[in-house]
Amino acid sequence: MSDTLRDKLMLGVALALAAIYLFPLYWMYITALKSGSAMFANPPDFWPRDPQWQIYGEVWESRNMGRYIWNSLVIACGAVSVIAILGTGCAYVLARYRNVWIDIGLFLILMLQVLPASLMITPIFVGFSQVGLLDYPRLAVILAIAAKSMPFFIVLVRATFMSVPQELEEAALVDGNSRVGAFFNIVLPLARNGILVSAILIFMQAFGEFVYSKSMIQAVELQPASVGLNTFMGPNTNEWNKIMAYATIYVTPILAAFVLLQRRIVSGLTSGALK
Amino acid sequence: MKRLFSSIVDGKGFDIALVALPLAFLLALSGLALLYNVVMSFQEVDMFSLGTLWRPFVGFKNYRDLFAQPETLPILANTAIFVTASIAGQFVIGFGLALFFWTNFPGASWLRGLFLVSWVMPGLVVGAIWNWILSGDFGVLNFILRESGLISENIFWRSDPNFSLWAVILANIWLGTSFNMILLSVGLSSIPGDLYEAAELDGANAWQRFWTITLPMMRASIGAIIALGLIFTLQQFDLFAAITSGGPNNSSNVTQYWAWDMSFRQYDFAKGATISVIMIVFVMAASIVYVRSTRHEVRG
Amino acid sequence: MGIRKYAMLGALALATVSILGMSARAEDVTINVWALDRDIQPAPNLVKDFNALNTGIKVEFRQIQFDDVVSEAMRAYSTGQAPDIIAIDNPEHALFASRGAFLNLTAMIAKSEVVKTANYFPGPLASTMWDGKNYGIPKATNTIALYYNKDMFKSKGLDPDKPPQTWDELVETARKLTDPSANVYGLTFSAKANEEGTFQFLPWAQMAGAGYDNINTAGAVKALDTWKTIIDEKLASPDTLTRSQWDSTGTFNSGNAAMAISGPWELDRMVAEAKFDWGVALLPVPKAGAERSSAMGDFNWAIFANTEYPEEAFKVLEYFVSQDDRMFKDFGQLPARSDITIPETGEPKKDAALKVFVEQLNYAKPRGPHPEWPKISKAIQDAIQAALTGQMSSQEALDQAAAKIKAVDG
Repeated sequence: MSDTLRDKLMLGVALALAAIYLFPLYWMYITALKSGSAMFANPPDFWPRDPQWQIYGEVWESRNMGRYIWNSLVIACGAVSVIAILGTGCAYVLARYRNVWIDIGLFLILMLQVLPASLMITPIFVGFSQVGLLDYPRLAVILAIAAKSMPFFIVLVRATFMSVPQELEEAALVDGNSRVGAFFNIVLPLARNGILVSAILIFMQAFGEFVYSKSMIQAVELQPASVGLNTFMGPNTNEWNKIMAYATIYVTPILAAFVLLQRRIVSGLTSGALK
Repeated sequence: MKRLFSSIVDGKGFDIALVALPLAFLLALSGLALLYNVVMSFQEVDMFSLGTLWRPFVGFKNYRDLFAQPETLPILANTAIFVTASIAGQFVIGFGLALFFWTNFPGASWLRGLFLVSWVMPGLVVGAIWNWILSGDFGVLNFILRESGLISENIFWRSDPNFSLWAVILANIWLGTSFNMILLSVGLSSIPGDLYEAAELDGANAWQRFWTITLPMMRASIGAIIALGLIFTLQQFDLFAAITSGGPNNSSNVTQYWAWDMSFRQYDFAKGATISVIMIVFVMAASIVYVRSTRHEVRG
Repeated sequence: MGIRKYAMLGALALATVSILGMSARAEDVTINVWALDRDIQPAPNLVKDFNALNTGIKVEFRQIQFDDVVSEAMRAYSTGQAPDIIAIDNPEHALFASRGAFLNLTAMIAKSEVVKTANYFPGPLASTMWDGKNYGIPKATNTIALYYNKDMFKSKGLDPDKPPQTWDELVETARKLTDPSANVYGLTFSAKANEEGTFQFLPWAQMAGAGYDNINTAGAVKALDTWKTIIDEKLASPDTLTRSQWDSTGTFNSGNAAMAISGPWELDRMVAEAKFDWGVALLPVPKAGAERSSAMGDFNWAIFANTEYPEEAFKVLEYFVSQDDRMFKDFGQLPARSDITIPETGEPKKDAALKVFVEQLNYAKPRGPHPEWPKISKAIQDAIQAALTGQMSSQEALDQAAAKIKAVDG
């Protein structure tokens, strides 16, 4: 089998797999263009008969989405910075040694992430209200998200640090670097891609965070897009087409950015930054 | 002071500072919150005494009451099935896809990136979409299965007690696969290519190379992914709320949804907290397994 | 007459409020209001209108989702962050009132020129009462009735002006209308395992002489057996067990169900989307001449007990009440008052439906009031689901529910 034939075959299979996997996304896009009750049509329409393109503009305007998305960005960037600053060093140490204390540390970090946000929100809300953090609602949400997602970041980045050869760091130390110097000059650059992928995953999670924002941010001007999305939903009002239009606007830019970035990151890794 | 400083720059102090800071942060936020739950599970909680920790202690009464309820054991069993099936499905499919895209044909990395949609889409939307896909009468899944002749009569995924839990598992596998795939891709790409070249020269076939090189080299990634997968599946809440609400008749109820239902639907906060403590114990066991598995990791 | 009457009323309300507001003019008081209303529903619009009056009271509005009202309110109240005014679902009113979380408004209502208890339907009013005192004011009300597709009635040879009157007729009609080849179910309703299931089932039990405190009577068993027949024979979709009322009625609007049990909140969507002739009938009764009953839905206004400005908060409520006559015209909601005649909308199907709903409202009973209502409701939901999935007989399921409710009732 020639290489080009093989490539074409693989690409075909990949496209088929992607088509299956992306079906829910496709469904989101076309639902946005359908009218309300068309959702319940049987058999389902796989293509909107009367696409309502104007819905995107309407939703953007009527929902003041610019402000919501800005808030989401602020919260997501804040959470990622807190996590990256605190988590990277921790992951590095947990990867560097192998003893009982490290076991305990890892164990604690995993344990602290057990409960879903819907169960953690009450105690966190009570605690934050005691120390007055609720007066700075976006900061409060950033901290809560950081606490929720940091263990995830640490576990992932630790796995990345595991793949950085220890001899490189030792060589740097022998060359007269301090521990701090070796960390910043040698280890960190080598683990860069893993950290970046993990940070992006965290960013995307924080961008869609909902439970904490909903309860802690009461002022509409400070709420993120996920809370704005939720205001469409109610027991007697599910404007699915608008919900999906909103979600489309909300998701597409991040998805596009990620497709571009991950290509560089993952393929950058394969082409041998580490070898 | 100077010794402390130099230790932080260039000694054990450096490591301790790096770990102590985040740990303190986590303990202050998540640790206290968990403790609040544990304490509450031994108390009688009134919905208006949420703001204080001083409430009447009732010992193990909440636990006894909970295990006296007929739905408790089935729900624990459902949770075990949900976690095991979801992780197995996500990991196997995710690994399969990662290996597939690793072969590096043109367009591979673009398409791989697209798979991350399940990670970006807001939980509310994912839940709603799966709700329609799985719906009995006008659901797309039934439509496709019917048209392809696999079933002759609609399956009521959400409302048939025999299928409801599997409906949520199906959606959850979809949700978690991409995460597994991306991380396994990163893991795969960090395996030095010359190992394979050497093995190929030694005459190892693809199957042998997978078992002797790929798997052992990926140990750290796999351990991390499965440990995180466990936590993600135990935190999975949106899908239950959107697809089955734990029903019908608790046939798809799992601890995390049940705990929420107890606390915020029936306002029985003590029972809700008791269920969370059971979850904590469950994860504690799993965390020990993970931490032990890290002893066999290979350092690159 | 119409416009002048409104203008008068508006002016009167404005005058009342601004006179009352004078005393507070010295400094602006801020009153926080939480409600689930969206931009096209009453609360945010009334707040906007109120703020435009410049009474010296500034109202801040926060929208909360239906599912979060109680948990947000409890969290806020127990940490001292509660709003001054909240709109709360009527079965949950007693939960707060019985614990003293809501302000006792009896004295203020007695003195009020605007709020008169005699003007309210008894059901909604009862839901705001606890221990003989007023802990709130009904915000709006609703109930459920039977929607039916007249075109489908005609095509199956049924008389579109004779909707089913009794349970047997309902089942029989549903059998005739069900047409799997055309993807049509005879009926759609909601037996979901949340408050909606209870909301839909209780009227059936009540019509047969049962109630939440005696849920395992022969009549209630017959009601649940009727539901079971409907589900078992696939006269309604098996997804009835997991589908909300709104989603269920969506299948009616798209022509996949010939009848639907739901409330007046569906009217606007149905007018816009249903491409067929439809009508509304009173809920069928167990047998001809039996007592009628219906569910009573919607929210109440209440003031939190720890508000700093009880007087001002009450003034805001008085303003809301003074605008009750706009409820249906502007926001499509039914005021909970018997002294307001709802004007015609000019949309014949909607007007006809409205008459039925207003009549049905006379039979509406509140759920409870009981401070442990959520637990009672959960017992009823469990029974419905256990019976409909065939895991228990209707009798066993309702016996179990009765035992659980007895334990809650103490």
